[in-house]
Amino acid sequence: MSTTTAPPPGASQEDLARLEAHWGERASLRSWFGTVDHKRIGRRYLVTASLFFVLAGISALAMRTQLARPESSLLSPEEYNQLFTMHGTAMIFLFATPMLFGFGNFLVPLMIGSRDMAFPKLNALGYWVFLFAGLFMWASLPFGAAPNGGWFAYVPLTDDRNTPGLHMDVYTLGLLFLGIATTAGSINFIVTALKLRAPGMSLNRVPLFVWAIVATAFMVIFALPALNLDNAMLFLDRRFGTHFFDPEAAGNVLLWQHLFWIFGHPDVYIIVMPALGIVSAVLPAFTRRGVVGYVLIVLAIVSIAIISFGVWVHHMFATGLPHLSYSFFSAASTIITIPSGIQIFAWLATMLLGRLVVRVPLLFLIGFIVTFVLGGFTGAMFALTAFDQQVTDSYFVVAHFHYVLIGGAVFPILAGIYYWLPKMTGRMYHEGLGKWAFWLFFTGMQVAFFPMHLSGLFGMPRRVYTYRDEPGWDVWNLVSTIGAYILAVGLLLVLIGVVHAIRRGRPAPPDPWGGDTLEWSTDSPPRPYNFPVLPQVHSLHPTWDQPSRSSMAEDATADRILADGRRTLFTSELDGRRERVVEMPEASVQPLLLALAMLVFFTAMLFAWYPFAAAAAVAVAVTIAVWLWPPRRPEEELGVVR
Amino acid sequence: MSNRSLAAATSTEALTTELPAGRSTGWWGMVMFVTTEATLFACLLGSYFYLRFQHGGEWPPGGIEQPKLLRPLVMTAVLLPSSLPMIWAERGIRRGDRRRLRYGLATTLLLGSAFLALQATEYAELFHEFTLTTNAYGSLFFVITGFHGLHVLIGLTMLSWLLAAALRGGSFGAHRHDRVRNAAIYWHFVDAVWAAILFTIYLSPRL
Amino acid sequence: MSAQPGPRTRLAGGLLLWYAVLGGALAWAIHLMVAWGADELTCASGSDRIGAVPLRLVVALAVVLPALATIGALLAATLAWRRTAHTRPDGIAEATLGRTRMLAALGLWANLLFLAIILLGGVALLVFPPCQR
Ligand code: HEM
Ligand SMILES: [Cu+2]
Repeated sequence: MSTTTAPPPGASQEDLARLEAHWGERASLRSWFGTVDHKRIGRRYLVTASLFFVLAGISALAMRTQLARPESSLLSPEEYNQLFTMHGTAMIFLFATPMLFGFGNFLVPLMIGSRDMAFPKLNALGYWVFLFAGLFMWASLPFGAAPNGGWFAYVPLTDDRNTPGLHMDVYTLGLLFLGIATTAGSINFIVTALKLRAPGMSLNRVPLFVWAIVATAFMVIFALPALNLDNAMLFLDRRFGTHFFDPEAAGNVLLWQHLFWIFGHPDVYIIVMPALGIVSAVLPAFTRRGVVGYVLIVLAIVSIAIISFGVWVHHMFATGLPHLSYSFFSAASTIITIPSGIQIFAWLATMLLGRLVVRVPLLFLIGFIVTFVLGGFTGAMFALTAFDQQVTDSYFVVAHFHYVLIGGAVFPILAGIYYWLPKMTGRMYHEGLGKWAFWLFFTGMQVAFFPMHLSGLFGMPRRVYTYRDEPGWDVWNLVSTIGAYILAVGLLLVLIGVVHAIRRGRPAPPDPWGGDTLEWSTDSPPRPYNFPVLPQVHSLHPTWDQPSRSSMAEDATADRILADGRRTLFTSELDGRRERVVEMPEASVQPLLLALAMLVFFTAMLFAWYPFAAAAAVAVAVTIAVWLWPPRRPEEELGVVR
Repeated sequence: MSNRSLAAATSTEALTTELPAGRSTGWWGMVMFVTTEATLFACLLGSYFYLRFQHGGEWPPGGIEQPKLLRPLVMTAVLLPSSLPMIWAERGIRRGDRRRLRYGLATTLLLGSAFLALQATEYAELFHEFTLTTNAYGSLFFVITGFHGLHVLIGLTMLSWLLAAALRGGSFGAHRHDRVRNAAIYWHFVDAVWAAILFTIYLSPRL
Repeated sequence: MSAQPGPRTRLAGGLLLWYAVLGGALAWAIHLMVAWGADELTCASGSDRIGAVPLRLVVALAVVLPALATIGALLAATLAWRRTAHTRPDGIAEATLGRTRMLAALGLWANLLFLAIILLGGVALLVFPPCQR
């Protein structure tokens, strides 16, 4: 298609001007509410999820302050119940997954060399729904009506007899509402990764982070329905008098647990998997080589995603399965450690074989490996059934899952923040401040959570709002609380570092780290159209290989510039063969309106204003109908025969 | 398979065939949506069997009678064939035949509405015997069939919307029919789910 | 081998590759559902046979058949791996060949993993009577 004999270096000035005209967004209220740019939406996800992290963190500090001394009376038992439930629920549902989806939103189109997500408006909808669902749940706390049945909300504790009031209705409706955002986001990731990869990016050249996000999205597709159904049934039981969980009327309380863990076990991997993807994405830049064993890591990602659905029964020790059927699940639980181990060893090998560049992101990666491996070790201890019975529902468990979740999610997330901050903001962060943040966070983490193993072994149960002065309890609780505050100071320094970078940071070059994936081949921050010339990919590390790089510069062709419209490319699912040019949607406030209508619906359901709910449902249907209404086209273009 | 064709199918050329390829984003989006919905129904029907087998004793419990078969079979005979005019309509518009699109959509709409009407009469009758709140069986029965009915209603809304767009003109043709195909996928899915429900709710208690 | 295969052959080849990649995973899923479901439901109903067939036999079949299917997938993956090892035939893009080879490697490892799970679960059949709690 390129007709000139001597191709210009990359896109010409006119091309750039036209791209800017089609993709640029002028700063206005309308564009702020209507943007469909995946980079803005991604950043919003990150900021909003961080906000919920701060709220959940403050709840945790309040709990730790209460527990610093025996018989303290800072919090009432009712308040304590709401705080640990909101802390757990928000950390799992409103922080971890949305934060990682935020990274995914910002990075996936950049890493695969596309100009946006497959469904940009759906993407915007997902963000607004996430925001509203989060606010919906947190808003209940000041009214003392927050969920209070623990993050896994076991019935019969949470049925209407044992927990009257709105508490659990906020939980069920809030999570159902949020589920819309998570499902929409997952579908979007899958389709984007399948169809919008740059030409030449066959499956064997897809970055590991993208594999991880896609595998996560598939897990969401298959796991989330179980949670949604569970919550819908609990809501119906509480509000409309059905009997799904009522043993007196042929129901069964264990149904809740089964459905919850069919979702919950994969959910552990839904949280950790994209974070591990961050690890694989960050490592090459600081070891100066590709991650060792690409195929094995892809294998680990894919097989964990599948096997994680076959292990839920281990959460139900007490239900008396026949040994034989239990052993089928144990086999899966045992083997799933192999792919997890493969990943760890691949990273260690990468570090050993590479040349380490010790910068803040690498520090957080090392912190991740140490913490996560410790968490895995205490996890293996549960496999001993006798030990499991001893520490079930004690602080040992609390220590264990914080090692896994903070190790497996928060450390990589922090590494990712420092690593991609230059790309997201166009500014470099302050290295010294970052190192301080790391050491405080790392120390605080160990000081806060290691002692919980001990108080757990001394018999301290979880979810108690206070305790008597027992031997071995009060010292370790005080240490724990001090650790929590050190950790909080570390996080505060992270926040200060980010603000400082945005305000005062040095301007970042396109590729400050020498990274290997495509986001480093474009400006920091990227232009609204991401790439002036869509790349032609020749290897797994396109930014490190000359043909891929020059495909965006001297070898640019008009059929990859696509400046005469808001356009990007579709390629084939497996081989990334060029298929066709597509027009992408413009900014629109429809996603916001739709999310608002849904918010009205869920709020009306919460307060039992059913006519309002019905009206909101109609509004939802009408908005969708208008959104998808086909534009009128001339008959020749449509191809009408009769 | 003969030896020759086996050798051909395992040749490098055949093994490197790209499959799937060339689907649109809309198609993938709809297929993923239907997949997650199908998982939801699988969990719902799984819950039915879980509660039934954990309950042990007599099923349906609490002196509720076995569901009658005649009406659900008629409903099946109305709903399952309703996919045929949909397929016919979609094939038509792929060739640019708008008349077939309109007639096909209208027929499917009629059949789907008849299904819902029949379901309404069934509910009206059953309400004398048991409701959502009678016991877990009642809850399962009405939530499963009701949730499916809601899906039929959503499907009908989609079809009416398509029909309105098709009647306006300037909407669909041989080169533009993504929306028709996506709605068709959804409709076939709703049909298939009904078959699973017929088996679970109406047939399996008699086994 | 240089003749271009027809569409049916291509379809078969493409499907064969997917069997090589996902066969083990599918077989494991079926094994888990059938073996667990049969054991759980039959024991709950207080019997150890399904109709005239002893439960042990049913569960054993639900181990052996999926294991065989997984071995089949393993063989298919090996075949695909070997068929993509040599120099690239004309008319196949480098990306296509690389992708196929990667999927084949993925299938090799994945099938080994799933075979291990199925067999590990199956070993329990030699140890426990089907309904012991
Ligand atoms: C930032 C520092 C954190 C501190 C100081 C902290 C502290 C605590 C405390 C004190 C509890 C209550 C224990 C009890 O009474 O049983 C708790 C529970 C919990 N935390 Fe954290 N946590 C932190 C971070 C996180 C993170 C990052 C996650 C997840 C991504 C998380 C997930 C949970 C969950 C799921 C629970 C259980 C809630 C329940 O029992 O229902 N926490 N945490
Ligand atoms: Cu688990």
